[in-house]
Amino acid sequence: MAARGHVQDPNDRRLRPIYDYLDNGNNKMAIQQADKLLKKHKDLHCAKVLKAIGLQRTGKQDEAFALAQEVATLEPTDDNSLQALTILYREMHRPELVTKLYEAAVRKVPSSEEYHSHLFMAYARVGEYKKMQQAGMTLYKIVPKNPYYFWSVMSLVMQAISAQDKKLSQTMFLPLAERMVEKMVKEEKIEAEAEVQLYYMILERLGKYVEALEVVRGQLGEKLTSELQSRENKCMSLYKQLERWPECNALSCKLLLKNPDDWQFYMSYFDSLFHLIDQGWEPPSEGEHCSEGEVRSSVAQAIAFVEERLAVEEAKETRPLRGPFLARLELIRRLRARGCPEEQELGEPLELMFQYFIKFGDKPCCISDLKIYLDLLTTDHHVQFINRLMETVPLSEPQDDGVALPGDTRALQRHLCVAQLSRALGLHHALDTTGKLDLIRQLKSHYRHGLQFGKSCLKTELQFSDMYCLLASHVYIDLWAETGDETMLWQCLGLLEEGLSHSSSNAQFKLLLILLFCRMGAFEPVVDLYSSLDAKHVQHDTIGFLLTRYAESLGQFAAASQSCNFSLRFFHSNQKDTSEYIIQAYKYGAFEKIPEFIAFRSRLNRSLHFAQVRTERMLLDLFLEADLSSSLEDNVKSMGLCPEEDDIPWTDMRDNRDLTVLTSWDPADRQLSEEQRSFSLQEELLWLKVRFLTLRLVGTLAVLSHPPTPRNAEKAAENGVVAKPDILRPLLDQLNTTLQNGAQFLERGVQYPFLGPSPTRLAHALASGSCHCQVLAFQLAAYVQELDAAALEETTEVQTQISNSFKSLLIQLKEILNKCKGDLLEVKEGQCKTQPTLLENLVFFVETVCVVHWVSCFCAGVLRPLKASLQKRKKKKKEPISATMVVFSGFQEFTAGLQSLFSEVLDHIKGQETSLTALKLGELTLEEVMPAGEEAFVKLAMDKLRSSYLRSLQELGDLLKKRADVLKSLKI
Amino acid sequence: MLGSKMTTLRAFTCDDLFKFNNINLDPLTETYGIPFYLQYLAHWPEYFIVAEAPGGELMGYIMGKAEGSVAREEWHGHVTALSVAPEFRRLGLAAKLMELLEEISERKGGFFVDLFVRVSNQVAVNMYKQLGYSVYRTVIEYYSASNGEPDEDAYDMRKALSRDTEKKSIIPLPHPVRPEDIE
Repeated sequence: MAARGHVQDPNDRRLRPIYDYLDNGNNKMAIQQADKLLKKHKDLHCAKVLKAIGLQRTGKQDEAFALAQEVATLEPTDDNSLQALTILYREMHRPELVTKLYEAAVRKVPSSEEYHSHLFMAYARVGEYKKMQQAGMTLYKIVPKNPYYFWSVMSLVMQAISAQDKKLSQTMFLPLAERMVEKMVKEEKIEAEAEVQLYYMILERLGKYVEALEVVRGQLGEKLTSELQSRENKCMSLYKQLERWPECNALSCKLLLKNPDDWQFYMSYFDSLFHLIDQGWEPPSEGEHCSEGEVRSSVAQAIAFVEERLAVEEAKETRPLRGPFLARLELIRRLRARGCPEEQELGEPLELMFQYFIKFGDKPCCISDLKIYLDLLTTDHHVQFINRLMETVPLSEPQDDGVALPGDTRALQRHLCVAQLSRALGLHHALDTTGKLDLIRQLKSHYRHGLQFGKSCLKTELQFSDMYCLLASHVYIDLWAETGDETMLWQCLGLLEEGLSHSSSNAQFKLLLILLFCRMGAFEPVVDLYSSLDAKHVQHDTIGFLLTRYAESLGQFAAASQSCNFSLRFFHSNQKDTSEYIIQAYKYGAFEKIPEFIAFRSRLNRSLHFAQVRTERMLLDLFLEADLSSSLEDNVKSMGLCPEEDDIPWTDMRDNRDLTVLTSWDPADRQLSEEQRSFSLQEELLWLKVRFLTLRLVGTLAVLSHPPTPRNAEKAAENGVVAKPDILRPLLDQLNTTLQNGAQFLERGVQYPFLGPSPTRLAHALASGSCHCQVLAFQLAAYVQELDAAALEETTEVQTQISNSFKSLLIQLKEILNKCKGDLLEVKEGQCKTQPTLLENLVFFVETVCVVHWVSCFCAGVLRPLKASLQKRKKKKKEPISATMVVFSGFQEFTAGLQSLFSEVLDHIKGQETSLTALKLGELTLEEVMPAGEEAFVKLAMDKLRSSYLRSLQELGDLLKKRADVLKSLKI
Repeated sequence: MLGSKMTTLRAFTCDDLFKFNNINLDPLTETYGIPFYLQYLAHWPEYFIVAEAPGGELMGYIMGKAEGSVAREEWHGHVTALSVAPEFRRLGLAAKLMELLEEISERKGGFFVDLFVRVSNQVAVNMYKQLGYSVYRTVIEYYSASNGEPDEDAYDMRKALSRDTEKKSIIPLPHPVRPEDIE
């Protein structure tokens, strides 16, 4: 905090204890100390601000703000107050107030370098680029230091980047920035590397690549030294922009001669090569080929170049580099794509890949290297290829089980690589059920045998044979997908549990277990698995979906709420955090990072997952609390939900999910495709829209709810009370449209790879009938709202609609409930069978019951005063009422019907709990289907599943009981 | 073994944070808060390098900084994080990334490069020794443990750069130090 080390000022001495208290988190003492000080020194403004910080940190925001404003209006110019106010405003998320503060300060002390610099940073925090530009220049005029001048230039670049009108960027902001730099260049005032970087950035954005090249290759370019190969990389990118293929070609070769392993330069070399061939480029008859030297522009030269690199590697005593060997395959692919017969001069891909395997097969990355080039093999060569590789792997004589095993880790790795390649070639998929089961048997045998090599591994290390275990799991999943035989999933779970017991750090085991448990309806084990992954910060955005997709849908609301909180905390800190580092980037002259940081911030703010957890978190809070521990209105108010507002950036959402986090060696055509990715995002957006609209509709109920004083339609009409703008109906229309779109989407029957994204809840939600039941409930609310607004005499029609809605709601709820009936887990003939859909339907039932509950409360709120006033009128005027209010009796029948539904569902839950508890999993004999050693792990998984089901049932039952109790007392 | 990494080496950018799970799901690789990465990117962008495989996967990265007083001959390069995905280990990639960090530190006129490593992480300690690093001092309870296990000591390992001609910077300290005693 401020004021350290300036002991000479007596005020500093007086303030010191308050700073210390604040630093130690002792806010109460800080406030007391500040009060004490203020008694003696009334005008020690800083003490007030420090007190305000204490107040802010103890949750007294309003008081803190008022106190801060007392000081701020005095326009302080002492360091202590200014810095303390800056801290306070930042903690209040009001960075715009800091700008006001320093604007006043520089007005009073116009020559202060420090205050001007603070003002610049304050503007940077809120992205006021134009003001930053001016502030930078003012600073430069006060103290002619280069960084200040270039801050101003950078602020022009930022105006260009952020301008809506791109023409304005190109014709005004960037040219102005360019001229400002040119002025310094002419005056020979360029000092730092950052200044040249910025110049380059400006020219690049202006498309002035020729000029940029001159800068990079010229004297100024000599300053580009921090980053390795900075000049070369910039030249390369400019050559590509300028389509100067000779230079691109020559430079790529030069860099490859220096480092024959740098993949990007093979790519740029081959790119340039074919451009030159297409252009019919000829070297000049004399002199240098181009400014970068020799150009190798024919296929023959390219082949020779690659072969020279290969020869160097072959001749080496030490292990050869992989680059040239892969470059050869890359060149073959490119020549083949162009139909060049010369490809054959480089060799037969099968042979070359075989040799590659001989050289690098004992490296774990061999599979990722070769899988890119598998398409060079014709399908009928696949088996031959694998057989040739296998022949080279040193294995023992076959054991009793007929499996030949490797004698060391290198042989193991080679054998593993062949297995991975077989899978990548689709050979695993081509096997029939017996073949697959035999493959699993072999893989498991290799897995267990390989464990002996890793006996001394630390628990933070992976076992050498872990990937066999994962491969076998994948084959189990194939079998399950093909046959629907759930035993395969159980065995897969068991195998992965076994794997984890030997290799407790294996993230892939955990990820796959998470996926399997979720698909089988069990969320409880997922909590520990995920937490042992130690996923933090940005990982909440990239893999948080693994948690949040299933927690709620499997009925573990508490865990769901917590999962959303993890993610939300991360997203909320992002805004503040990023702004600080944008400022740092100015300070250190890392200009190219500034737009990068801003784009990053926006990528997080627009994250799909962010919008999802925000929405689900609010829904969860409402399901768990609204109209139970506190009223719906209070809940909606406290979460700041504004139903009129749609603040989700639908059109520019970023899908930050890491959908390939689970390792897969599947063939290319079974890997997650770009199309599937985009379908998955579409589906997520549709479901999010359903949820968000549901949330807003619930919020609307709260907004429309009546104030406590009774009021009826007539009175409202008399007083000329303006009805609230009707948002219920438009939102309901939107929800209906979205559900239709959802149904249309599902008709496409999009499937994702098992290891890719999971489908959303959309399909199950529609199938369960819960969406339509909720629509009906909101529709009922709309009718009731109509009834409230109209004169009683004209409401016959709407009354009928209300009564009918009451009846259909009960029927629909009953239908959903019927879809929950059945056994979640049953044991038949020694086999365990699960029906997770029943659990998911039960959750939909519970969610729908919550919505129906809120609608009922809303109805009661309208009907109660209506009934009261009607009775009063009846007494007073002693006249028969024209409209017989069928809605009142309808409501009573409805709540009675709800009560019996509640008992029915609670009985069902009780029954499930009893039968689950009674299941004797321990006595289950699985020997017939699996070896004895595996049984224990499978049973472990079964136990976890049962325990999870029980927990879900209990949570759902508890919530239902609470709602049932509250509903009992709902009378009109 | 050096150099068989076959890779694209490039500057780490914010977007890489969305792709580094295969590296960071390793138990010994810490995933830091966003401010930590941004601080490095803002202050020492050249010291934050990522290796990318031909298939587009991230293979590993190194993150470092330059710090210390020039006057006291303590100006040096520091390795903050170095991690390689399991699939891309045993290729010498870590060594290559270290080499780059050393080269950058040389250019900046550093006297040495240093790093902290868990005493228990024998694989890493041996690798650094092979790369020419030696234990300069032990820092007691440098790594705080989370799950009730005892805090762990760190080795502060150093390698002299060409500016430290007499290799004064790497003369081992006779006694271990506490975390609060290091800068």
